[in-house]
Amino acid sequence: MVECATMEEDEIIRRAKEGDLDSFNQLAETYQRAVYNLCLRMLGNAPAAEDATQDAFISAFRGINRLRGGNFKAWLFRIAANACRDQLRSLRRRPVTSMDDAPFEFKSDQPSPEDYAMRQELGEEIKKAFVTLPPDQRLAVILRDIEGLDYEEIAQVTGSSLGTVKSRINRGRKRLRHHLEKHRELFV
Amino acid sequence: MRILRKNQCHKVQGLLSPYIDEQIGSSERDRVESHLEECQVCRRELELLRATVNLLHRVAAVSPPRSFALAEVDAKRRPAALKREAPQWRRVPALGALRVATAVTALLLVFVLAGDATHLFEAGPVENRAALQGTPVADEVQGTSVTDEIVGVGGASFDSEGFTDNEGYIWPVLEIELALTGVMLILGGVTVGLWHRKRRGLEKG
Ligand SMILES: [Zn+2]
Repeated sequence: MVECATMEEDEIIRRAKEGDLDSFNQLAETYQRAVYNLCLRMLGNAPAAEDATQDAFISAFRGINRLRGGNFKAWLFRIAANACRDQLRSLRRRPVTSMDDAPFEFKSDQPSPEDYAMRQELGEEIKKAFVTLPPDQRLAVILRDIEGLDYEEIAQVTGSSLGTVKSRINRGRKRLRHHLEKHRELFV
Repeated sequence: MRILRKNQCHKVQGLLSPYIDEQIGSSERDRVESHLEECQVCRRELELLRATVNLLHRVAAVSPPRSFALAEVDAKRRPAALKREAPQWRRVPALGALRVATAVTALLLVFVLAGDATHLFEAGPVENRAALQGTPVADEVQGTSVTDEIVGVGGASFDSEGFTDNEGYIWPVLEIELALTGVMLILGGVTVGLWHRKRRGLEKG
């Protein structure tokens, strides 16, 4: 992980544990981008991702005393993944409008117009492919290939063994590649 | 021989993802690499997996729509998902039952009113019935909504004969009518109230 727990962060966490909201909000500002993006990719729905992110930070603040050492980001991601699970449950019973859509966009070195159209199409395909993944596999692949966590950290976030993490990433990627194979010209 | 080969491909393909991430031991890695050298199918699979992973690496992060820093009130609030989920789903079966109960009560009331109007519940001989029922209640009853009927019948009974009127009936018809009306109004009120709350909840959600 890029943001490793520095001495400074340890001190901020200590103060947050004492109930200092300002210190907790410093942590929120640091990690909100990562948490929001995790939720957005998990849910594929912007308003639901916003709700899940908010819920995650509320739960994190209330439960911060249960954090004992360890990796703050992994701990926070675990809470966010739970918040996503709740949102997924309620998403199943509310209609989704195109307004809520959260398309995948790509980093690009030199954007040209035809490049842009191609990336749009590809983003749409990846989004569709992600929806077909079971949530456990989706979470593992997002954590590994989009958020850049290592296997050990993913095991912490998901509360599962390394073997389970390996197999989820493997099966998830395989499914994605099968889905994207139909659009091979887009990405090879 | 072919089956053996297929079996080997299957095993290797199960290792390709950890192979890409360098998450396998050296002996497994050697096995994968020597198989890849002689198997074009698995080489192609590896290539496609790598392309997929590279594509995912290029997914751009989105800026959050707002700050998620907590205000004092947020910190004390229950997470929104919990709040929204719990009540909404439990209420729906209750709402269905309430609707049925309201309808049944309304039907019963109509039946009692109709019976009352046609003198079904009166005990005396047929000739006495017309005399006992001074005002033609039936005229007031017909063709109006349920609520109107109640007022009409109740009012007429009180004005003309009062409670003694019940002596001519098998059952305390007036009391039954009033009780049914009360129950129906309460059930109907609760049903409409719940329905409104559910709708607001769904709109918000
Ligand atoms: Zn092979």
